[in-house]
Amino acid sequence: MKSQNGKVMVVGGGIAGLTAAWELSRQNIGVELVEKSCFLGGHSIGFTCKATDKCQQCGACSVEEMLANVVDEPLINVHLRTEVTGLQNGDGLTVSLTKSDAGPAGGGILRGFSKNNRPLYVVGQDAGDDIPEGAVKITELGTEARLEVDAVIVATGFTPFDPSIKKTYGYGQWKNVITGLELERILRENKSLVRPSDGKAPQKIAFIQCVGSRDKGLGHLWCSQVCCPYAMRMASVIKHDNPEADITMFYIDIQNTGKEFPIFYEDVKSWLKFVRAIPVDIYQVEDERLKLMQLVEGQDAPAMEEFDLVVLAVGITPGADTPDIAKLFNIAVNEDGFLDGGSAATAGVFVAGTAAGPGSIIDTMAGAQKTAYEAMKFLGVTK
Amino acid sequence: MTAEKSSNTIEISINTDVLVIGTGAAGAEAAEVISAQGYKVAVAGDGGQDIAQSGRAELIEGAHIRDFAGVAGDFRACFVKDGQRLERNFGAVVIAPGRNVRPQAEPFGLSLGERVITLGELEKILADGNARSKLGGAAVALLLNLTWEGDPQYTARVLEASLAIQQLEGATASIYAGNVKVAAPGLERKFTYVREQGVVCFKPMEKPSIEQTGDKIRITTLDSILRKTLVAEYDYLVVEEKAEPSDRDLDLAYSLRLDTDLEGFLPSNNVHRFPVNSNREGIYIAAPGLGANIALRIKELFGDGVKSVPADRAVVDPEKCTICLTCYRCCPHGAIFWQDGVAAISPLACQGCGICASECPMDAIQIGGFNDKDLRRQVREAVAATQKPAIVAFCCQNSALEAGRAAAEFGMDLPAGLKLIKVPCAGKVDVEFIMQAFVDGADGVMVAACHEGNCKAERGNLFARWRVNEIRKRLEALGIDKQRLLFTTFASNMAKGFAETAAQFAGSL
Ligand SMILES: Cc1cc2nc3c(=O)[nH]c(=O)nc-3n(C[C@H](O)[C@H](O)[C@H](O)COP(=O)(O)OP(=O)(O)OC[C@H]3O[C@@H](n4cnc5c(N)ncnc54)[C@H](O)[C@@H]3O)c2cc1C
Ligand code: SF4
Ligand code: SF4
Ligand code: SF4
Ligand code: SF4
Repeated sequence: MKSQNGKVMVVGGGIAGLTAAWELSRQNIGVELVEKSCFLGGHSIGFTCKATDKCQQCGACSVEEMLANVVDEPLINVHLRTEVTGLQNGDGLTVSLTKSDAGPAGGGILRGFSKNNRPLYVVGQDAGDDIPEGAVKITELGTEARLEVDAVIVATGFTPFDPSIKKTYGYGQWKNVITGLELERILRENKSLVRPSDGKAPQKIAFIQCVGSRDKGLGHLWCSQVCCPYAMRMASVIKHDNPEADITMFYIDIQNTGKEFPIFYEDVKSWLKFVRAIPVDIYQVEDERLKLMQLVEGQDAPAMEEFDLVVLAVGITPGADTPDIAKLFNIAVNEDGFLDGGSAATAGVFVAGTAAGPGSIIDTMAGAQKTAYEAMKFLGVTK
Repeated sequence: MTAEKSSNTIEISINTDVLVIGTGAAGAEAAEVISAQGYKVAVAGDGGQDIAQSGRAELIEGAHIRDFAGVAGDFRACFVKDGQRLERNFGAVVIAPGRNVRPQAEPFGLSLGERVITLGELEKILADGNARSKLGGAAVALLLNLTWEGDPQYTARVLEASLAIQQLEGATASIYAGNVKVAAPGLERKFTYVREQGVVCFKPMEKPSIEQTGDKIRITTLDSILRKTLVAEYDYLVVEEKAEPSDRDLDLAYSLRLDTDLEGFLPSNNVHRFPVNSNREGIYIAAPGLGANIALRIKELFGDGVKSVPADRAVVDPEKCTICLTCYRCCPHGAIFWQDGVAAISPLACQGCGICASECPMDAIQIGGFNDKDLRRQVREAVAATQKPAIVAFCCQNSALEAGRAAAEFGMDLPAGLKLIKVPCAGKVDVEFIMQAFVDGADGVMVAACHEGNCKAERGNLFARWRVNEIRKRLEALGIDKQRLLFTTFASNMAKGFAETAAQFAGSL
């Protein structure tokens, strides 16, 4: 094997971190990949395939493929359940790693979303002997060390908007009000859509867009970019599976999904009811159905409509650790609260992925390649 | 060009010159980043003097590609310039797509003129310093995404222009919008700011009707919020510019054998192509901001000019080849060329999908790691060893195999008699293998591919489906229940879907 072209630490093992790590390894650069949770893959490793009779280019399977690449790459050294707690800037960068407190409590068992998660199972400290084969105890997971690296790429991702902040939607109060993230899980784990309250197939479904995004009241003056695409794609999956489903989407502006959007959108418009208004209140009525109240275009009085299931298309907000990370690595935070990629005051520190602002999986991958390229430039591996 | 290194890899020396087609922003960026890697770059297109002056790249000006041949590492482009032929060799090609811009005046029954202008024309007026004399005091209406869906870049241009108008003395800008495309950094904030600066944005429920009388333009809309018919008069109307694929790109797609999407834009709509790949190794599609991404792919392809590749990825037996051209036509990656009177396959360009091997009428092609003898043996073993019902599942290694293995690993219930056979792509599942499985005693055969539009080989799954449909007809003619043969599609993350489909299939047998 050729000698390595230097060493880079990648913080965060979502699709941004995985992609950056993989690109660096392509150029024979060693990578220390640090992930706070017990599993690599970030949010998107748990997403559902959104194909109907055709692939809808949601990108979820690209994450699976990238994870498979990374776990088989000897140049990438993975530290699960580990956090960065210190940075010293001398000749190179000296980074202190500490075990994080992520993982199952007590005797709990956690399973990764992908068969390429290694280990696949992580069990709590008090787990007995009856544990899945190959499971690792959390006490054995995590790195305590100081590592010398030439550069750092921060890819700590985002936090989905917590809709319980918008109290009038009754999220957490009404069982059949769920988030887009929960819908991803439900579709992935059940062949068909089921209602949380009774496991039955809902017939009348509402999607509410821009929950936590484009919201002046919250000070969230950004579009999350991914929620129109994921909502329309998942609505397509639901409709494909159950042609009787009656689906309504409440929206402000519909954003593009990507290539061939005009063709896709024409099709969606033929069966999905688009209402250009955002509901203000959700009440639970009989049979755990939900009544939405909104001011609709073309009507004087607020309209009321009942649904079996309401999906809140939650958006992307700054990662929970952003303030700490910003301080630790001396990176400015932009007016929306995301890391300002270009601003790292420490030479050799870069930012990739949704840590710097909203983006889809494929946008994130493209951006992380670019960040890897910047790091290579810094290392002198490229010009 | 090739020299033997060991029995299973060969070293190929690669031409590391790069041809960039297109002199716009994306082409210039790509040329710059690639040349920074130390590779020689030639840029072909009209204009582009600044690229030539930078000294970063040679300019092949005003030349048009007449013929294009070869494979990654060894492309041959024949240009025609001033009636002269110019032949050049390159290891890789970058296409910076162009756009045809179609002004959208006609959908409103209008024609372009002094008062009805395009966004491009407006931007010129705003840029040339005479904006004040021309637009000062004027009321300007800008149309946004009413006749086409547009994109964030287009929305950003409209917002920028509206703001510039609003800041001119006495001038006002109003936007009539369909979906405002704010899915890009900073755009929602900008949209908010622009409105705070006094630009009014109407989102009509239906397409507005617009009339021009003399110097005035009258727009009638049904406003969605006020729910009233609104009539307003303007001095200028700025119509949309719809982007369409350029004729040059459509020509290039044809002569370079590249897939486009359904709208005609390069490349095809397939996640495996994003962000810069095409269906052919060594040919990349540029866009502004993606220079580094292209540089990385080219670095990976070229390395230091010599590349080790498996020698047996796909190999033609020259004794058997009758030059029927089938393989050339069906290879999705343009990896097949002619050498010494028979088909030859570039080990660098070939992706090992095996479509050619399954389609070759002479069985002249073998795929490394998946030769026919091995696959036949696997089918035999699969059928012999199992409990009932015996199911042979040919699984694409990119999707179904991953899903099937994940289902097993997650402990999901799988039929006891199910055996997975790994294939490089469902396109490698020969009719012969399927028939053999039935002859050997399989109760059911499953051909499991990627979803349509997700095949790395673009059409391997379609080939597989056609073959399955053909065989089902044949089975029916033979009096065999055609339900015993199933074509199905998965993504690698569909463990649950795989388990359920397999269980259902087993139940039906
Ligand atoms: C409901 C929903 C559905 C979506 N659906 C789609 C879709 O269908 N298609 C699509 O393209 N996009 C979709 N997206 C967007 C997609 O989730 C993102 O593009 C993608 O996850 C971004 O990847 P990332 O690596 O930047 O961040 P993340 O996925 O958030 O990964 C960040 C990683 O960093 C780790 N981390 C965080 N802090 C630290 C720390 N301090 N130290 C070490 N590690 C840390 C986290 O544990 C995590 O593993 C969706 C988003 C949402 C909310
Ligand atoms: S891109 Fe998305 S929809 Fe397409 S196959 Fe992959 S997971 Fe399924
Ligand atoms: S992508 Fe759609 S739902 Fe998400 S914030 Fe943007 S406009 Fe709203
Ligand atoms: S399909 Fe077979 S016979 Fe025909 S040209 Fe190709 S290798 Fe030769
Ligand atoms: S195996 Fe696939 S990529 Fe290779 S030559 Fe045959 S058809 Fe082309």
